[in-house]
Amino acid sequence: MSVRSSARQMLENQNIATEDHSVAASLVDATVKFGNFTAIDKISLDIDAGDFWTILGPSGCGKSTLLRLVSDLIPAASGSLQVLGKSTEEARLAREFAFVFQDATLLPWRSALSNVELPLEIGRKRGVKIPVGDKTPKELLEMVGLKGRETALPHELSGGMRQRVAIARALVCQPKLLLMDEPFGALDEMTRDRLNLQILDIWRETGTTILFVTHSITEAVFLGQKILMLQAHPGRVKKIVDIELPEPREITVRETPKFNKYCGELRELLEEC
Amino acid sequence: MSDMEATLEQNVDQSSDTEAAETDFQNSRLAEILIPIATAIGLLLVWQFGVRLFGVPEYIAPAPSDVAAEFVREFPLLLRNFWPTLYESVTGFLVGNLAAILIAIAFVHSRTVERAFFPIAVFINTIPILAIAPILVLIFGAGMTAKVVIAALICFFPTLVNMVRGLQAVSPQALELARILSASKTEVFWKMRLPSSLPFLFSALKIAATTCVIGAIVGEWIGADLGLGALIIDSTFNYRSSLLYATVFMSSGLSVILFATVSIAEKLVVRW
Repeated sequence: MSVRSSARQMLENQNIATEDHSVAASLVDATVKFGNFTAIDKISLDIDAGDFWTILGPSGCGKSTLLRLVSDLIPAASGSLQVLGKSTEEARLAREFAFVFQDATLLPWRSALSNVELPLEIGRKRGVKIPVGDKTPKELLEMVGLKGRETALPHELSGGMRQRVAIARALVCQPKLLLMDEPFGALDEMTRDRLNLQILDIWRETGTTILFVTHSITEAVFLGQKILMLQAHPGRVKKIVDIELPEPREITVRETPKFNKYCGELRELLEEC
Repeated sequence: MSDMEATLEQNVDQSSDTEAAETDFQNSRLAEILIPIATAIGLLLVWQFGVRLFGVPEYIAPAPSDVAAEFVREFPLLLRNFWPTLYESVTGFLVGNLAAILIAIAFVHSRTVERAFFPIAVFINTIPILAIAPILVLIFGAGMTAKVVIAALICFFPTLVNMVRGLQAVSPQALELARILSASKTEVFWKMRLPSSLPFLFSALKIAATTCVIGAIVGEWIGADLGLGALIIDSTFNYRSSLLYATVFMSSGLSVILFATVSIAEKLVVRW
């Protein structure tokens, strides 16, 4: 890389940093490589603060890789990347984002409450200034409907409850960006529906930006204001679909013709990938 | 405990509606306890009458009643020899496992240390304990130190292997979570690796609880005046078979006590 181009990039970064805080995440030609394999190929994308994006695509399209790129778990091979006007590392140290994994990833020896408190105990040594959220861990558990289960150990909770503890844990530092990697993929349909409604409530209440990876078309349409459709080999943006459905969304919206039209369109797009 | 069971049984008696089902339940619970006890008593009886019937002399195979009588008569002697073995076993247990835990931590933190020392640990483990015991007695003398070292050595390897596995048993996602939270290596160790290793550690400690007694006794065979191992050798050479059996019984009692202690500690610590 020449000195000039990196200088230009710095200038660009500064511009973004100074002028625009309403962008939660911004990618310019971001590329991720694992050895010779290109997982993400030159994706450019702006995600406005406060939006709910769902990410759909065939397996191997880099959905999870995209979340891991944004959350500073893996580096970009080329291109630039900003999260809330900062580098991903700065955003990580400022606890600007939180991650919810497919399995709840709770520490089995800690109670529900103590799992939610984990982010408050970790990171000081690495220079994290731990932000204090408006809600206490206890209130967050109440918000996700687990009042009275504070002392329960993870193995005493159902899969859906465990995932709700994980969501409460993600919210404890009041992140401006919530990254969710197929969080309800392993749950049964009833639990999934309930948690879908709950995550919409949380999104409205907290005003956070959500990036939500899923492989369910209905879930993507039901939750997302925008759907990012990725294609595989290499991972690229296939299409961005705006979803316009009456807000706040209710479960019955899924029986409307408009909802089904979106699902049909997306299914066709997926088959093309 | 027995009070609780009694009240439970009372409750069972009171609710007569589902009597049949509960009688079955009681039967199966009782059967679970009674069948093994009855079997043990049966075998003892076969032994007792077998020995008497065929007129086997006491020094070849004593009858259970002879062993029991000897156990009571020589109890002060047995107890005098019990304490040194208990001390050696427990000290060996503590030293061996502590060393194994610390080395496992070093292995997990540095691949180089693991590459350097793991083959040596495997090599030491392949030497039969009976072969290395005389060497250790030569080095450390006939005192208790040699026995403690042998007991420690026999505990060491299973704990090392299990502890390394336990420390590595943190899921990749938990490590990603740690990275997102910007956790330091120390924080990952204390908050994730160490707690997740505990179930592995305790299964190794349960093995060690019984093998450390073997180590101490083997050490005492090589050279000791006092201890259950010394008493085993002594009673064998003096054809005091009843005393020998009583000593063996005492030794296995020691193992049972240590095993039970570790099991109780596990129940208290590993609650997940």
